[in-house]
Amino acid sequence: MRTLIYGFQTALKSIWHEKWINLLTVLSVSIGLLILSSFVTVTLNVDSALKRWAKGFGMVVYLDGDLTAKAENDLKNLFRQDPDIIEVKYISKEQAVRELRRTLGENASILDELDENPLPSSFELRLKRDLLKPAVVKKKAEQIRQLKGVAEVQYGEKWLSSLNTLSTILKTSAVFLGCAILVAIVFITYNTIKIFFYRRKDEIETLKLLGATRTFIRLPFLMEGLFIGIAGGLISAAALFGIHSVISLKGVEILPSIRTLLVAPPVQAYIAIIIAGAAMSLAGSFIAVGRIRY
Amino acid sequence: MIQFSGVSKYYDGDPVLNDISFTIEKGELAYITGPSGAGKTTLLKLIYCAERPDSGQIVVAGWDVGKLKQGTIPFLRRNVGIVFQDFRLLFNKTVFDNIALALRIHDMQPREIKETVNNVLKDIRLKHKEHVFPQHLSGGEQQRIVIARAMVSRPTVLLADEPTGNLDMDTSRNIMGLFREINARGTTVLIATHNNALFHGTGRRVLYLHNRHIEKEAVG
Ligand SMILES: Nc1ncnc2c1ncn2[C@@H]1O[C@H](COP(=O)(O)OP(=O)(O)OP(=O)(O)O)[C@@H](O)[C@H]1O
Ligand SMILES: [Mg+2]
Repeated sequence: MRTLIYGFQTALKSIWHEKWINLLTVLSVSIGLLILSSFVTVTLNVDSALKRWAKGFGMVVYLDGDLTAKAENDLKNLFRQDPDIIEVKYISKEQAVRELRRTLGENASILDELDENPLPSSFELRLKRDLLKPAVVKKKAEQIRQLKGVAEVQYGEKWLSSLNTLSTILKTSAVFLGCAILVAIVFITYNTIKIFFYRRKDEIETLKLLGATRTFIRLPFLMEGLFIGIAGGLISAAALFGIHSVISLKGVEILPSIRTLLVAPPVQAYIAIIIAGAAMSLAGSFIAVGRIRY
Repeated sequence: MIQFSGVSKYYDGDPVLNDISFTIEKGELAYITGPSGAGKTTLLKLIYCAERPDSGQIVVAGWDVGKLKQGTIPFLRRNVGIVFQDFRLLFNKTVFDNIALALRIHDMQPREIKETVNNVLKDIRLKHKEHVFPQHLSGGEQQRIVIARAMVSRPTVLLADEPTGNLDMDTSRNIMGLFREINARGTTVLIATHNNALFHGTGRRVLYLHNRHIEKEAVG
């Protein structure tokens, strides 16, 4: 316990004594953490935007033209009971034509040339969100296509799979970048603590001869590394909060719809930044102090 | 308290100490002497495990020093106070902190440390220099600080390497008086010196180190 206090005091003294190099290290650590956390936040935002779009994702089931009202109703009930489908919307031939007219606008008159409604009636289905994997959707579509009375099933196959790829790429690169930056933080602190350790080599030698344990010798350096990490974490958490606040304030002015899209980093994220900084810096100083031999 | 049995030590293949055997009893104050380069410092280093013997056995205060594990070495050294030939004072710490460090290593309470260090500073008559940094002290004053640091934790064994190196006779006598006091309190003291005047007429045991072994043993 007293060793802990002594280590704490020694670390504080060293931090003050070497304030510039310590400040530089803290800033490097916080910049690393800020890059990491900003990237994670962006990924989080993009991913959530993608998910939001995907939420409205559905498939259109075109029916055979000669289907009876009862058969159509049976299909409707079948879809309603399917746990994978969260919304079923029936669009009759007539509705389909009306919609087409609206879309064509002035050119709608060409529809008058036709003596028979060429459009089939259809169902618009919305699928459960966790089902939105390309392979799963494809299987579902195949199943529905096999049903009696179904002529055709359409869904944004290409779109869905590229959406998924994008999300995967983002997440993977976030993981890689994250690892790279964490390693960088370990290295930055390692460097600084190693310098301090070498500067005090004589003193450490004397401490050893006076009977100091490894813990007694190491503790001040480990604590200093820990302080650097925590300080770096605090600074980058504050910066992230600041940047996010500015973007959401200014962004809403420019592009009001951004409000619904922006995902704020959760409190856990801020805590994670600080813990990551502390843990990586501690690891760095641990390696820097190395094995102490008498 | 200190026992060497057939100890040899080589540096880069050259023998420095060859088949050394002697015993220092508990509570004794003894001298080890010999010309410069005879291996006095090396012999002391073997005692506090800064060097390992190449053969033979060394027992200090019950520890088999040659076979000590890395993690145990600090605990041996806490029983051994050392007055280094090259002082090894920390120049970024005050006189008080230099001495207090030995007690911090022993995990003593801050209040107790203050009291103990103040007492020892009075013993060596340097209380008025407690806030001074060592580089602003004279050689003799630095020497006394080193002795204070070695004895403040009340070690079982005190090793002093050339403790009067380049001091005048008066200061030397003064310092030798300190060692007698420490010894009188029960600490076993071993002093390495090439200065015959230090042990002449003391009636203490003197080991003569010459040609890599203990040439003779006599009473000073
Ligand atoms: N680390 C070392 N590596 C190689 N040789 C060494 C080492 N330390 C000491 N020596 C050699 O061992 C011999 C004994 O050295 P030591 O320091 O023990 O002598 P000493 O009796 O203490 O001398 P002095 O009275 O000058 O202090 C010397 O010849 C020295 O050069
Ligand atoms: Mg010597």
